[in-house]
Amino acid sequence: MLGGLLGGLLGVGGGFVMVPFLVLWGRLRQHSANGTVLAVILPIAFVGTIVYYFGSRHPQVDVRLALLLVVGSVFGAFIGARAMHRLPETTLKMALALILLAVGVKELLFP
Amino acid sequence: MSVLFSLHDLLAVGGGFVIGVLSGLLGIGGGILLVPLLTIGFGSAQQVAQGTSLAAIIPTSIVGALTHDRLGNVDRRAALWTGAGAVTGTVIGGFLALRLPHDILARGFGVLLLITAWRFWVGRRSKYTGPDGSDSR
Repeated sequence: MLGGLLGGLLGVGGGFVMVPFLVLWGRLRQHSANGTVLAVILPIAFVGTIVYYFGSRHPQVDVRLALLLVVGSVFGAFIGARAMHRLPETTLKMALALILLAVGVKELLFP
Repeated sequence: MSVLFSLHDLLAVGGGFVIGVLSGLLGIGGGILLVPLLTIGFGSAQQVAQGTSLAAIIPTSIVGALTHDRLGNVDRRAALWTGAGAVTGTVIGGFLALRLPHDILARGFGVLLLITAWRFWVGRRSKYTGPDGSDSR
């Protein structure tokens, strides 16, 4: 619920909230959490897109840009998911922490 | 000026690829990276960036989740109960976002990310090896 609220609020899937949630409180291993969260993000993104598209007078979705991004990202997601399977948990956590730090600093300084 | 595919478009595909890899790797939808990419790189307004990012996440997470499931990395029970709550939250969050000023959204987002980053760095060496002690690596 919290993940979804933040996800819709910020236009993100909420994965960055749910991964820590499942690892710290759900006691899932990092690998399971990562896979599980992607499954959860799917309905969130679906509902969220509908809200952004129909929720205001003008659709807040750039459909053409979204399609272009997707052409690259589906291949990337496949490669990334297979790579994750082989990486140790500590590496995944450090990578996640660094990405969150980078984006967090950016959002604070240049909102 | 009807160019079918511009450099801008190729950059979008390339950016999508990099974000897709990170999404599959880290279990994030890619939204935390897509939104900055769209606002800074492509000049989208914050709310359009958020809506577009959500749309792009759909196919990305389908591929990511299916690949993870085949490798045994999806806990289906956890996915069900987390998903049910999350969908409810999304509807509320989406409507709120369309009515809130963007720098408040962005700064709140930033604070949240820093807290999460810190927690993950501190806990990067987990104390347990998994529910059944097994390791699929």
